[in-house]
Amino acid sequence: MKPRSVAFTLVSCLAVMLYAGAVCAQIDLSGNWVVESTQDGREHASGPFPGNFAGIPLNQQGREAGWAYSGDQHEELYRQCEAWSMPYLVTGPWGGTFTAVRDHYGNVIAWHLSAPLYDRLPNTIWMDGRQAPPPQAVHTNAGFTTGHWEGDTLVAYTTHLSDSILERNGPPLSNQGTLRLFITRHGDELMMLGVIRDPVYLEAPWVKGQDFRLVLAGESNEVPEYCQPAEVVEGLSDGYHTATVLPDQIAAAQTYMLQHYGIPVLATQGGAQTMYPQFRKKLSGVYKPRTTYCTQFCCNGRGAQRLCKGID
Amino acid sequence: MSSSTRRVLPAMLGALAAAGMLWAATSLWTRAAAQAPAAPAAAPMSAEQAAPIDLKGYWVSLITQNWRFRMLVPGPGEYADIPINEKAKQFADAWKAGPDEAAGKQCEAYGAAVLMRNPEHLHIAWQDPQTLRVDTDAGMQTRLLQFKPPARAAQAQASLQGQSRARWVTPGTGFRAAAPAATDSHHGSLHVDTDHLSAGLLRKNGVPYGTDTTLTEWWDLHTEPEGDEWLSISTTVHDPEYLDGPYIYDSVFQKEHDGSEWDPEPCSLSF
Repeated sequence: MKPRSVAFTLVSCLAVMLYAGAVCAQIDLSGNWVVESTQDGREHASGPFPGNFAGIPLNQQGREAGWAYSGDQHEELYRQCEAWSMPYLVTGPWGGTFTAVRDHYGNVIAWHLSAPLYDRLPNTIWMDGRQAPPPQAVHTNAGFTTGHWEGDTLVAYTTHLSDSILERNGPPLSNQGTLRLFITRHGDELMMLGVIRDPVYLEAPWVKGQDFRLVLAGESNEVPEYCQPAEVVEGLSDGYHTATVLPDQIAAAQTYMLQHYGIPVLATQGGAQTMYPQFRKKLSGVYKPRTTYCTQFCCNGRGAQRLCKGID
Repeated sequence: MSSSTRRVLPAMLGALAAAGMLWAATSLWTRAAAQAPAAPAAAPMSAEQAAPIDLKGYWVSLITQNWRFRMLVPGPGEYADIPINEKAKQFADAWKAGPDEAAGKQCEAYGAAVLMRNPEHLHIAWQDPQTLRVDTDAGMQTRLLQFKPPARAAQAQASLQGQSRARWVTPGTGFRAAAPAATDSHHGSLHVDTDHLSAGLLRKNGVPYGTDTTLTEWWDLHTEPEGDEWLSISTTVHDPEYLDGPYIYDSVFQKEHDGSEWDPEPCSLSF
């Protein structure tokens, strides 16, 4: 082939490829995203109150497993570096870095979401149309995620999750659980709506929203905190013992919110009904607001901690 | 310039020109095809006609976040999750529900800055082709999301629900360079800016917001293969008087089949 023909062919192919790429272009999610929502600060920081599952659609099996949970189990030597499950993206305080994974032609075949800390695994959202592996394939805390675009929204669907917890006070998530994420970018804001389903422990979908903000440098740019197992709790972190939960501890967890905030067990035991406005009528006459001034975790908005200095 | 370069350069320029013509021709064809049905004399579409998503119907809020502060009346001093400043804390510390109830100000906790955050049902309908009407059963409030606000809206008086200017943001008009595909016609977001608010409460234990408060909302609709429809509203509240920074929260609603759960109840500061 003459050089002129070769050049013409190459440049024409390049032009067509660039044009096709532009037509197929989707929203660019690349960058560092940090959590911006000012909600559930207590849950994000020191964790939810013991035994408080209000607003989580647990079934009976789920709430019993939740009450029997011990946070101390994460001090067992072999569990100290265990990551939270994928739903932690919408229940936890951390964002991450989205990076496009491209093929040789520049097409995005996946979005990679980094793990800002060791307590959430990195995740890959496969966009190339591949199918999830068979159900008996390995389950992990990251799961297996496929995605597609619906307009400007990336819809990601995660399966193959391993047994874990939904929140740090113990509501469980089974290895049959799934997470569907709707990721919508509005300029420098990213809205994620997470729908968590679990036929084992949930009687309805648990839906959570979280906002993220694009930053040039943020938590996700920090050096990852590598976890090194160590003996933290004497007698428990030696690699030979396991955490136990005794009946009196379960009873204490069940009544913690009643004792401290006057919220009845009917609410804190969770269940689908506790998510809906009608449930407030069941609390009418049962719940009375405290009249004493707040004494713990009273302010946590931006810069507001100083206002409650000496209280929290 | 070498002889081989002299031979190849014109060929490259020719190829680029051909590619440019291809681009231009396709773009012109696409534009022509898109514009063909719309005769010059045709009236512009109303907001209702242009709606990329259908928000009409009944919705129920899902209280899965900040449950204690939304479902119950929090006790004094419970200010967690709101970026209040010193002035707001002083106001809230001194606030008592009794005097406000006696003064008939129960609805101050149902203003636009927080209305979508309350446990409630929504009924969304088109009041007219340019105005989306949102009614709540809790507090029996009405928001009007105006796609073509009246010219004198800028001088409007402050009110509990303020003035809301709405616009559709569809794929291709936002942050994507490429033209939207035909299948994108049923995707998009509703963007709402609200101001002209009268003072109100962000929480029923006295956390205030002032008359300079503005809010920005993104309304997104998501449908799942299982059949569930979710409406998420991402809200950012700015208040230079009582907040140290933006107050940002997400409200989630689930589509209902009908209005059988609609349960109007008056404003209350104690329930």
